[in-house]
Amino acid sequence: MQSAPLPETLANLLGLDPNSTAVMIVLSLVGAGLIGTLMMTNTALAGPWAKRKITAAFTDRIAVDRIGPYGLFIIVADAVRLLSKELIVPEGADRPAWDLAPLIIASTALLGFAVIPMGNGIHLADPEVGLAYVFAVASTTSIGLVMAGYASNNKYSFLGGLRAVAQNLAYEIPLILTGASVVIFAGSLQMSEIVAAQQQSLIGPLPSWYAFVNPFAFVLFMIANLAEVGRNPFDIPEAPTEIVAGYQTEYSSVYFVLIYLGEFIHIFLGGAIIATIFLGGPAGPVLPGIVWFLIKIWGVFLFTQWARSAVPRVRIDQLIEIGWKGMLVLSLANLLLTAVIVGVTV
Amino acid sequence: MAQTVHRTDDVHPLIDPIGDHVLTTETHENAPAAVIRADEVQTVLSTLRTEAGLDHCACVTAQEYADRFETIYHLRRYVDPTQELSVVVPTPKESPISESAAPVYPTAAWHEREAYDLVGIEYEDHPDLRRILLPETWQGHPLSRDYNQDQPQIVSFREHERLLEDHREGPETMHLNMGPHHPSTHGVLHLNAQLDGEQVAAVDPDIGYIHRCEEQMCQQSTYRHQIMPYPDRWDWGGAGLLNEWAYARAAEDLADIEVPAYAQVIRTMGGELSRILSHMLAVATYALDVVGEFTATFQWGVRDRELVQDILEDLTGQRLMFNYLRLGGVAWDLPEPHEAFFEKIRAFLDDLPHKLTEYHDMLTSNEILQLRTVDTGHLSAETAKAYGCTGPVARASGVDYDLRRDDPYGYYDELDWSVVTEQGGDNFSRLLVRLREVEESAKIIRQCVDLLEDWPEDDREIQANVPRTLRPDPDTEIYRAVEAAKGELGIYIRSDGTETPARFKIRGPSFSHVQALSEMARGEYVPDLVATIGSLDTIMGEVDR
Repeated sequence: MQSAPLPETLANLLGLDPNSTAVMIVLSLVGAGLIGTLMMTNTALAGPWAKRKITAAFTDRIAVDRIGPYGLFIIVADAVRLLSKELIVPEGADRPAWDLAPLIIASTALLGFAVIPMGNGIHLADPEVGLAYVFAVASTTSIGLVMAGYASNNKYSFLGGLRAVAQNLAYEIPLILTGASVVIFAGSLQMSEIVAAQQQSLIGPLPSWYAFVNPFAFVLFMIANLAEVGRNPFDIPEAPTEIVAGYQTEYSSVYFVLIYLGEFIHIFLGGAIIATIFLGGPAGPVLPGIVWFLIKIWGVFLFTQWARSAVPRVRIDQLIEIGWKGMLVLSLANLLLTAVIVGVTV
Repeated sequence: MAQTVHRTDDVHPLIDPIGDHVLTTETHENAPAAVIRADEVQTVLSTLRTEAGLDHCACVTAQEYADRFETIYHLRRYVDPTQELSVVVPTPKESPISESAAPVYPTAAWHEREAYDLVGIEYEDHPDLRRILLPETWQGHPLSRDYNQDQPQIVSFREHERLLEDHREGPETMHLNMGPHHPSTHGVLHLNAQLDGEQVAAVDPDIGYIHRCEEQMCQQSTYRHQIMPYPDRWDWGGAGLLNEWAYARAAEDLADIEVPAYAQVIRTMGGELSRILSHMLAVATYALDVVGEFTATFQWGVRDRELVQDILEDLTGQRLMFNYLRLGGVAWDLPEPHEAFFEKIRAFLDDLPHKLTEYHDMLTSNEILQLRTVDTGHLSAETAKAYGCTGPVARASGVDYDLRRDDPYGYYDELDWSVVTEQGGDNFSRLLVRLREVEESAKIIRQCVDLLEDWPEDDREIQANVPRTLRPDPDTEIYRAVEAAKGELGIYIRSDGTETPARFKIRGPSFSHVQALSEMARGEYVPDLVATIGSLDTIMGEVDR
């Protein structure tokens, strides 16, 4: 299962010298481009099309089916539509913060994929601090949200930005603590090590994925992840019926697309982290690793859409309460218990 | 001024407590009327409120005669709305100043603002007398006699913008304009909200954005044919038939028209279908407000309404603006073949319990929704009465008030159904009341279908004999209300003997509910304010008119 990172594989394929820095820089960029394109393709599928189809399925409708097979060409139509809209810059917006925010939101989530092993050798880098890196770049998104919130010079944006920060603070700590409990199991922050540690059999054919080893941590992580990506019951930073669209109220055209894109990539990044640390990464029978990996992140995406259709959103004060009084305590308990059990048994 | 009678010893019991203050008494078609002095309004009304038990100020009508202005307070009892009294306050033409009733009935504050705005009567001791429906800079009072109807007035946005400005008093709050364009104000409603963090320190609803001169249009239209389409347009949530009934009831009682029983059953059935349409939309959009914008329950609500709309389309030919009722009956008989029509209704009714279970599963029994809505947006029974709240809003606060039962009309008193009340007074209770009222409506519809099916063939009279041109007797006045989807929808009509009303006043239930919003939302979080607006099920058509 262990394979060389993508740039080295490319170098070997092309017959170039893997020890040359120049070659590696170029090939890293090429690899990053490939992975970025893969994730963007998924996002393009998810945003304009799959989301509509999934929501429609939950609500007894059909959704897009006029343009192309299964309405798939709506993706093209939407892209043209969104990009051709006028970019309206609000009066009194704080530039360049206002312009940078969408870029930060979209790019930070994408950066996380650099260390995710997607199977079949699609793995850009494998640093020893892999998991810490993913959490770090995923958290950077909050900066983008705050910037968007205050720079828009709009009270709804401002409220949304404040909500986003309060929410991310309250949920990232449980998220990371629960992730840390997996690190205790695997004994490493390196993504490939965490995946490799899940390959043994737990009972019979059941692999020792950490979702099976510690279902409690898995559930905690799934919940915290919903808050992290801002989906029901935790879609408070946007909450269109309350604060119009929160931090993204004033964004239109390309900037809107970037923020929207960032959100979806973020959901996929959440799915990728869950797949890697709880669901055995790209592991699975018969099908190639990358297919299994995509199935898993789409599974998590489906879960977020399900929550969105069915679960009411909580109020901001209730959200903070659940985060600090519930999730934090539970994730600390989970971490301690895991540490004790691992300490005793190993 | 109708049939002025000089006081005799035979005093009406409701007038008795204020005997000394009454100048003369009159008779309105619905109630006795007591004429009092303009500077004794508060004394008289507070006596009536405490001693005669007239705790419901249903409506305040203002109008101008050739020689005077007049304000009429339509009072009734919440426990028995057939106990009615109209208090008439004439004011001289040159100085139309009357004492305000707002300190006695808080609901009168907005009604009097409207009277000032449209008719031009000034109220002393009013807490906040300014225009309510028209822009602040409007010149003149459109329903007064000397107003030039032909002179157009243009109000620029800059003038109107003043309403959106920051009026906060202390620096510790943030001013937030919710609306006039906001995803969840349910229409063009503008709330001036003062926020303390995420909490609402104060909220001042600002209405009038879609004022369409409905009252004046009705005053220029003939009773017989031209008014009936308008009530549909006070509620685009599907409650059109109930609104038409409000006008039909007022006009029929004014002109002594007897509606055949068969037509009453059809009206009752159609009206309850209309109520289901409206309640379903209320529940669906409420889910949108509380659950989120991708909720399944919203689409389910729309899906289930569709079936009702199909039925009503078969019955009336229309899906939204029905225009089906006529004075003295309905426009036409049930669609042929009757069996298929009844079958369609029964199929819908048979499926309904299962569907309602789904709503309860997704909404009322969901823990997060309960966490959000129980004990938020609280409206006590006392406050509900003070603000003239009616309908599901009042019934969710434990006010057992339903005109279908308490002031019977149509075929309701022959049928077996019950009034739904809840004691909570919160956002959750209002949702629950609407869902349970759908069940009651279904019960009524089923009984109507049974009745209509077995109705004797030779007795299917759909309209009474009504003169082609209806001219009710001059100087007759009436205030009549029906239980519309949102609550008490009342119509006041004064006839001057012509074929159009001299004064046509609409009392929209949502008007009172929006007024009560500032009481309900104070101290709540912004999300609760949104949930509260949703739970009131306001429709701006009947607020702004």
